Amino acid sequence: MNNVLNRMRWQYFTLRNPYLFSLLLLVLAMLVNLFFQPDLLSRGSLNSNMRVFLPLVLVTAGQAVVILGGGIDISVGSIVSIVNAILATQLGSNASPEKIALMLGAVLLVGMAAGAINGFFISYLRLQPIITTYATSFLYAGVALFILPSPGGAVPNGISSFYRETTPLGLPLTLYVIPLILIAWYLLRQTRYGGYLYAVGGKADAAYETAVPVNAVQFSTYVISGLMAAFGGIAITLLTGSGSATIGADITLTSITAVVIGGTALRGGVGGVAGAVLGAITLGLFKNIISFANVNLWWQTFVNAAIIVVALAAPGAINLLRRTIGSRTRQHPTTGQERQA
Amino acid sequence: MKRLTAFLPKKIAISPPVAAVILAVVLFLLSGLLPNGYGSNVSIAIAQATNITRLSVFLGVIAAGQTLVIISGGEGIDLSVGAVVTLSAIIAYVIINGQDGMLLPGLLAALAVGAAIGLLNGIGVAYLRIAPLVMTLGMSGVVTGLILVAQHGNVSGAVSPLMTRVIARPWFFGIPGAIIIWILFGLLMWLLIERTTFGKNLFAIGSNRTTARLSGVHVTGMVVATYALAGLLSGLGGFLVLGNTGVVFIAMGNSFLFPSIAAVAVGGTLLSGGKGSYFGTMAGALVLTLITSLLTTMQMPDSVRQMVLGGTLLVLISIYGRQRGFRQ
Amino acid sequence: MSVSLSARNVVKRYGGVVALSDANLDVHSGEVVALIGANGSGKSTLSKIINGVVVLDGGQLLLDDKPVHFSSPQTAKQMGIATVFQELSLIPQMTVSENIWLTREPLRGGLVDHKNVRLRTEELVALFEGTHKFSLHPDSTVDALPPDEKQIIEVLKALSSDPRLIILDEATASLDSRQVQRLFELVASWKQQGKAVVFVSHRMEEIFRIADRFSVLRNGKTVGAGLMKEITERELVGLMVEKATATSVVQRQRQVLKKNGDQKIRLEVHDLRTDLLKGVDLQLRDGELLGIGGLKGQGQRDLLLALFGDLPYTGSVVVSGEAVHFKLPRQAIEKGIALVPGERAKEGLLYIRSILENLMLPSWAKFGIPLHIGKARQAASEVSNELQLIMAGLEEPVSSLSGGNAQKVVIGKWLLRNPKLLLLDDPTKGVDVGTKAEFYRLLARLCDNGTAILFYSSDDEELLGLCDRVLVMHDGVIRSELSGESLTKSNLIAASLGASNASLHEDPSSAAGHTYERRDADESSTAAPGPAGAGETDPPSESME
Repeated sequence: MNNVLNRMRWQYFTLRNPYLFSLLLLVLAMLVNLFFQPDLLSRGSLNSNMRVFLPLVLVTAGQAVVILGGGIDISVGSIVSIVNAILATQLGSNASPEKIALMLGAVLLVGMAAGAINGFFISYLRLQPIITTYATSFLYAGVALFILPSPGGAVPNGISSFYRETTPLGLPLTLYVIPLILIAWYLLRQTRYGGYLYAVGGKADAAYETAVPVNAVQFSTYVISGLMAAFGGIAITLLTGSGSATIGADITLTSITAVVIGGTALRGGVGGVAGAVLGAITLGLFKNIISFANVNLWWQTFVNAAIIVVALAAPGAINLLRRTIGSRTRQHPTTGQERQA
Repeated sequence: MKRLTAFLPKKIAISPPVAAVILAVVLFLLSGLLPNGYGSNVSIAIAQATNITRLSVFLGVIAAGQTLVIISGGEGIDLSVGAVVTLSAIIAYVIINGQDGMLLPGLLAALAVGAAIGLLNGIGVAYLRIAPLVMTLGMSGVVTGLILVAQHGNVSGAVSPLMTRVIARPWFFGIPGAIIIWILFGLLMWLLIERTTFGKNLFAIGSNRTTARLSGVHVTGMVVATYALAGLLSGLGGFLVLGNTGVVFIAMGNSFLFPSIAAVAVGGTLLSGGKGSYFGTMAGALVLTLITSLLTTMQMPDSVRQMVLGGTLLVLISIYGRQRGFRQ
Repeated sequence: MSVSLSARNVVKRYGGVVALSDANLDVHSGEVVALIGANGSGKSTLSKIINGVVVLDGGQLLLDDKPVHFSSPQTAKQMGIATVFQELSLIPQMTVSENIWLTREPLRGGLVDHKNVRLRTEELVALFEGTHKFSLHPDSTVDALPPDEKQIIEVLKALSSDPRLIILDEATASLDSRQVQRLFELVASWKQQGKAVVFVSHRMEEIFRIADRFSVLRNGKTVGAGLMKEITERELVGLMVEKATATSVVQRQRQVLKKNGDQKIRLEVHDLRTDLLKGVDLQLRDGELLGIGGLKGQGQRDLLLALFGDLPYTGSVVVSGEAVHFKLPRQAIEKGIALVPGERAKEGLLYIRSILENLMLPSWAKFGIPLHIGKARQAASEVSNELQLIMAGLEEPVSSLSGGNAQKVVIGKWLLRNPKLLLLDDPTKGVDVGTKAEFYRLLARLCDNGTAILFYSSDDEELLGLCDRVLVMHDGVIRSELSGESLTKSNLIAASLGASNASLHEDPSSAAGHTYERRDADESSTAAPGPAGAGETDPPSESME
């Protein structure tokens, strides 16, 4: 009985505070970062950091929505690359404001269309999300490479520096985007759609029997993810000021990792976008730490990747420990249902 | 449905491996029609067919591990094969360093490195319950990091003459060694999958892990072993690729990753696991190598190749990979 | 509010299996229609057709005398049809109130009005006030609730849409008597409001308490309908069952199984505990067929899985005189234990693999490296002959077999290993009568050869007919042990509801607060009329579909 109560308490606690772990991790990363880079919170470094983090934050927010809904999107990195390739080739250094606006709108539509293709195959043709988006990731990467066969291209200096240098009220422009994402998520969560998302990710069959439009919800998550990836692509283009067809390649796994350390389970239905955003910032800080800690340049890729694997392994390792220590609070092996140990 | 089809003549639907072979033949015949194809010259056609088969060997061996992992189910997939191929090739390259005597140690080291990485993948998937795609993609990053570190140390080495002779040159009747190795390898794979307890248990965990466990299969052990074996086979692939190219470079394994998955799918192995064959994958490797070489002959850029391969996989999973709908 | 719904000549096929061939149902405002039928008769399928989850292949649905076509559950719901599912339609990770209002959350300015949701949830929960143990909180996560409270949430969820027609699909299966009572009070008030109710159940007592009319399904066909007050329980049961039942076979087997007692002890269990089990003790001898009974979900499944090493446990288990603690099923298998799991498709079979591979799965290691397939095939065909497996060939996939034949494969894979101890988890669920009879003969043969069998069944008739001794489980413990004279249907039912051994011997009829006909073992073995035991309260221990 005590056991039951303990379990309920733990479950209640983790369900109510899905962001706690990611928040702790964020604070920890910040402290370590402060050690190596004491002026981390100064206006200058805040700005330079945030504008670097923002593309990942945007992509991660979309990824979180897909994962919450029980799917996964391996193609986000390629969508980022497509957007980057389009902007770098189409705008050039001297595009007019009208053209800029037009192209920005166009790439957002492209992102949504790419997401819609994913969504169509997954929700209406009932294909497995992982393998489907893996296939489209290759397809989209090919499109990006087709548009921009070798790195180059440019965007007008004006919008690039607008992204990089504007500091309304003394804070970097990019810092305003994060509360915007969180507010948007909060509002979405308060709509019926927000509930549908958790229902579909939690138990799609039951959601279907309850008359939740499961297919439409699944479809929509990929469109949202495509849109957010397009925003991420815009941000990364403004950040770098030029184009490369492989610029998004690394962002896919990083965004999934950010979602995981943000407290969203990969099987869906538990977690939220806010934690994922914290997770993305945390990963950004880790990268920062690596470069400020004078890690040998040749080792940086390895250290970065190792951190990602460790972060992905952490929830499983904690579970494994709990399973072996508390042998009676365990995953039911046969039904596969976690009795919320 | 199932009852109905049981009464129909059986061979109306051709099995996917046979379909893949037919597709390979058709593609090959088509390639002859291209302006710069072999046209009506039979001896050139044979030479070209031999060459394409030889090129398929490397993809074929690398896709062997992929086949096992995919059959094992649980969304099994191995995205670390590209990086493992590169790393094991580099290691063999350094160890062999031009000496025939070091060939065996070089091969064993390549296999061991592959197996070790595969083992880590398996532990992550089976014990830490990380989704295979995510785990192996992460591992791919780690291995790439290791490769960069190794490259920084300015890799110096060389393949040995014997290695080139065995892998890249013909043995008899103008048949390259690689093809003979592949045929033997294919037979061994068939034995492993169809004629060992490991193979039977592999199909079992791929089709239903609960049933497998309740029938006495050590499921986690099987998963770990499968990923380790897949890593080992990638290591072997790296060794063979090295014997063919004679040099190492950072991205040498990457171009095999996506085709290895597509080859498995073309060969009719269920991407959800539990059903498949290595002969199918061999046929799939031929098809994908043909597609690639066709596109090269047509002077298509790399981007088109990617789009075609991505589209091919998408079409394949649409045919083979539909899941049950909610509505009954 | 007025409503009427008719299903006419409904046909539904799943693959080659016909679930419904000619199903009919009429229900109108202010009445409760009981939809009755035995295992696999198609009750659940018909109710899923009415609520739009399943598409019909033939026949039609009339709502208010107009033909309707439900393309999805949404459409049915919009027309005012709500279902209380037996297999719960709740999302485990979501809270009580989120689950109840899913898709119909009260809105305010486009956003969900949480205050309102909470208020209205509390109102609904109050309907069942005093009948639940833990306080049912609108913010509790559904996953953490016990089964009966989940079922209550399911009822409230259906009710929250203010439907015109409510389908109660085995909704009382996991409720206790107080909760059932409250539910029936609610049903009475729904009738007053002019709602129509379809009551899918197999509990005779409840059907007679609540229903106005009945409609009986047998093998997917409606075989009778009428007013409850014009039919007796015996007649109703007569409609439900086919003429040839397995019971006669059951009784004959029982004679065979009478002798044992001086045999070696094969299994001894002391203070076995898991999440659900609260200390189980038992002893099983070679050649004995020991039954486990009780309501569904009282820990029977946990007991079998723990003994098979598939569930962590504490306590002592002694197999063949040797203390063991299995961590994996394979360890149990090595000691000669076999398990036939409860859910054939999910736990017992490799659906897409061949019959040969399914039969051989636990035994491949015996056939060498490389595997001697010829020998394996021979062994498999011997077993399939022994089981009289009806199949097109050993290479055909298991998915091509009918339910009964598929179950034979699950048992067949263990026969190849000559198990010393056989654990059976409700093995005849959804199996046709003929196969059941074959299966009973097989069990008798195994017992004669000295196999010890631990046999959980949700079918009381089986336990009574086959077993020498029955342990009745309730709430994770063995509440009573019935054997010889005390092994009667009424004792079994009373014990299922939680009566202890002591009270049973004194007065079985008052133990559970219901009145049961007293009948001793001899009578039941000569005159049992059918699975439901006409003239008695149907045991509330099984779920049918």
